[in-house]
Amino acid sequence: MTAPSGQAPAPRVLTPGVRAALIVLLAGALSLALEPAFPWVVTWPAEWTLPATQWVGDGVGWLLGWLKPAARLFSDLLRYPMGWADLALGATPWPVVIGAVTAIGWYLGGLPMAALGFVGLSFVLASGYWSQSMNTLALVAVSVPLALIAGGVIGILANEFPRLKPPVQVVLDVMQTVPTFAYLTPLLILFGFGPVVGLIASAIYAAPPMARNVILGLERIESEIREAAVMSGAGRLRQLFEVEIPSASAQIMVGVNQSLMAALSMVIIAAVIGGFDDIGWEVLLTMRKAQFGQSLLAGLVIVVFAVVIDRMSGALATERRRHDPRIAYGLLGLAVGLAVVFGARLPEASGFDLLAPLADAVDRGLGEFTAANGDWLAGIKNGVMFFVLLPLRIGLDQAVLPFTWGFAWTPAMSGALFAAAALLCLVLVWRGRAMAGLMLLIGAGVLETGIANLPWPFVLVGAAALGWMAGGWRLAALSVGLLSTILLSGLWERALLSLYLSGAAVLACAVLGGLIGLWAALSPTVWRLVRPVCDMLQTIPLFVFLIPVLMFFQIGEFSAFLAICAYAVVPMIRYTRHGLISTPPELLEAAVASGATNWQILRDLRAPWAAPTILLGLNQTILYAFAMLVIAALIGTTGLGQSIYLALGRADVGLGLSAGAAMAILAFISDRLVQGFAAERRRALGL
Amino acid sequence: MTGTGVPAIACRNVWQVFGPNARKALDRALERSGGDVDSAARSLQQSGLIPAVRDASFEVGKGELFVVMGLSGSGKSTILRCIARLIEATSGEIALDGEDIARASKQRLTQLRREKMGMVFQHFGLFPHMTVAENVAYPLKVQGLDRARRRARAQEVISLVGLEGREGAFPRELSGGQRQRVGIARSLAVNPDIWFLDEPFSALDPLIRRQLQDEFLRIQGSLKKSIIFITHDIAEALKLADRIAIMRDGRIVQIGAPADIVLRPADDYVRAFSRDVAKGRHARVASVMQPVAQLAPGPDDPGLRADMTLDAALARCMALYQPVPVHDGQGRVIGAVNPADLAAALQVEEP
Repeated sequence: MTAPSGQAPAPRVLTPGVRAALIVLLAGALSLALEPAFPWVVTWPAEWTLPATQWVGDGVGWLLGWLKPAARLFSDLLRYPMGWADLALGATPWPVVIGAVTAIGWYLGGLPMAALGFVGLSFVLASGYWSQSMNTLALVAVSVPLALIAGGVIGILANEFPRLKPPVQVVLDVMQTVPTFAYLTPLLILFGFGPVVGLIASAIYAAPPMARNVILGLERIESEIREAAVMSGAGRLRQLFEVEIPSASAQIMVGVNQSLMAALSMVIIAAVIGGFDDIGWEVLLTMRKAQFGQSLLAGLVIVVFAVVIDRMSGALATERRRHDPRIAYGLLGLAVGLAVVFGARLPEASGFDLLAPLADAVDRGLGEFTAANGDWLAGIKNGVMFFVLLPLRIGLDQAVLPFTWGFAWTPAMSGALFAAAALLCLVLVWRGRAMAGLMLLIGAGVLETGIANLPWPFVLVGAAALGWMAGGWRLAALSVGLLSTILLSGLWERALLSLYLSGAAVLACAVLGGLIGLWAALSPTVWRLVRPVCDMLQTIPLFVFLIPVLMFFQIGEFSAFLAICAYAVVPMIRYTRHGLISTPPELLEAAVASGATNWQILRDLRAPWAAPTILLGLNQTILYAFAMLVIAALIGTTGLGQSIYLALGRADVGLGLSAGAAMAILAFISDRLVQGFAAERRRALGL
Repeated sequence: MTGTGVPAIACRNVWQVFGPNARKALDRALERSGGDVDSAARSLQQSGLIPAVRDASFEVGKGELFVVMGLSGSGKSTILRCIARLIEATSGEIALDGEDIARASKQRLTQLRREKMGMVFQHFGLFPHMTVAENVAYPLKVQGLDRARRRARAQEVISLVGLEGREGAFPRELSGGQRQRVGIARSLAVNPDIWFLDEPFSALDPLIRRQLQDEFLRIQGSLKKSIIFITHDIAEALKLADRIAIMRDGRIVQIGAPADIVLRPADDYVRAFSRDVAKGRHARVASVMQPVAQLAPGPDDPGLRADMTLDAALARCMALYQPVPVHDGQGRVIGAVNPADLAAALQVEEP
């Protein structure tokens, strides 16, 4: 500053952010004030909604009817490879399957990987779920090659024709945000009931990660390698297949790994539509019968598959070294030899039931445990429901009842709450933190009203304000436009319910995951303990998360909340830790040299440096929460997830797709908002 | 220029402008500025385009080692890529051995690359999934040579760069210096006439760099390629070049022999570069010599020759104050030099 008077310029109180917050606050206050006179401010009147769900249903139904013959032909064709895979895996004697997996494990990762394969499959054999597992595996074995080919072709085409890339990426984004169940309804109509639907759904679901990684891998090739191929005088095809794709192979293998995991996850979810004797169906069945011991066992079988497939295909991407193939052939030969020698005397694979007593013991133990600790468990559940979830959902004014809190909420209390918030806000504004003060006031308003009861003008203005701050007018307009389609289609209330549950879970994950991440960043010992848990939680197919929460807390919103948290907390932990520990060492040295304490370094240096990374973690957590929300509909949530699930049961394409789209819109908007803020933080740090 | 006749590489008024509709924008800008390069470039920048190379013209003779020197962002790598047609120049003419490469068809271009051009990259550009031998043989493979001949030729160039015994190694198993040897071997595999080197030694540490520079000079001494060599290091440029072009902000500000650059910088920018250079080692006596009709060899003729460096000349006439004769290779007197001028030429110039 070169002001001649030597005075510092007055700090600008009305920053754009503060102005936006003020407008949002005004919109909220107006809505609340107008509510008694004009009820349509809170509840979008039914007569204003467009029958969009029906239109979508009719339109897509017409389209599907058109496609149906081709689809049926395709599904008939697919029955052949599926039959072969089934036959191959089902009819092969189990020692050969175990031997083959062990041999592959050896080749890819040496002794530890071979042991993992052997122990894992032995567990599957012992569980008595061998034939169901092989059915699942057969589905994966057919769907993954389809997904890899489709994804690879899409990725290469997007790379060859730069004009294709942006639309392809948008489509891939959409495919990954649309909830898995939403795919199933139209597929059900197209292909009829049966395993083919699961197969195609998992192929569709598994193709985007492959395409994405192919694009990414090809993009990341050093330009000089590309140029060296050109200067060698190679034609375009040779450049692509002899130089570029092999150079990108590590990234492409990451795609194969992700694709495999996605396919497995989807195959298991697809069991919901039934018609196939696979392991996902087994979990669902036992869960419905409340046989939690068996359910847990079947769930563990899924986990074993997930871990074995993940680690082995992961080794494809990360490990360059391959182990002696002779030993692998030896292992396979040994297994074949065993099968030939013992032949028919081998016990039937499904005859094994070694772990049944264990399952029964779990059931008994669980029964005793819940009987003994029921009060305590119910206490937790009710405590969280009454004091956290319900107020968030329907607001303090409705959630605070003599039955729950011991007293009734009165308008005077609302007044006191707002007065206290306003006072704090003034203090904050006076201390120069206007933004924090206004956010506090808005937060108080939301808490008083409840997310599910938020007036729609307030939500729209809020989304516009956030969009404007995160990415300018275009993002603001996009957010408002997309939200308006939900409003018009009559799915608004359900959308708010979904928003509430995922919002609550994201909030819990942000706090809990942030703290764990912080702790793991400070102490390597903690990270050594937390890391395998995170790895495990990320490998387990979504479905399996439902089993333990059901065991202890039965069906209901709290169980769904827990399942969502368990799945969505992982990215928050990982990104927080990663952001905090990746502060450049020279910055730390400079701080130490200036005499900063550890706490000061954390607060002034590491935290701001980590902010963009932590925001990305939050973004992932939000997307994970939305993904799990739909799965959690199986154990009782309200909102869009439930609608999608119901639509699946009724084969209602219109409802399924509209609710799926609404869900995708919510996920999309939050993704863009958080990404926008993260990008802004990165710019501010000059990254 | 060492060659005669058609130059190996000729660029005339080459522009490379990045941005949408670059060609039209360039034409319009030139039209408006009446052909003035700087104001055209300024108006292009104002409309959001990036004029990376501005009106570059130069020729490289057959067997000449032509160095393009400039700081990062000066357009030196861009102009090399225009000549190799890795990117399409926005306007201007580029000819290799008189053949207009900007208009060459795709097939002809591929053929030229297979037979005539070799290129070495700053970060080596080695194919990570191929061994040393496979990397070196790849240009031969795309030509369709059979395996035995590929292997024989690859072995030849691998020996030329001194990598015998490492044929089966993968790039990741090699040191930086070794990797660049592979890059050099690969670029020479097809025995090209024209050799492009894009900052080949910049990523290496100083000792290895010196070693590779010397080997490069040895190889060039026997192969006599026509070379464009890109560098940002003035010492490297002076050490290697037959002629140097200095680029700044996309323009070539001076082209000349190393001694010209050091002793007669065209502007302050070039002068700033050469300020830190030990001039005595790069400039020759010829550059400060005055032609003289006759000058009888005196009793203390130090025996200066025109191609001596200033350092060497100065060492011989430390104690002399009178102009001394300068001889050519055959011992004839071709001029005279005042020892004081020798010393003055070495002075570090004040800004």
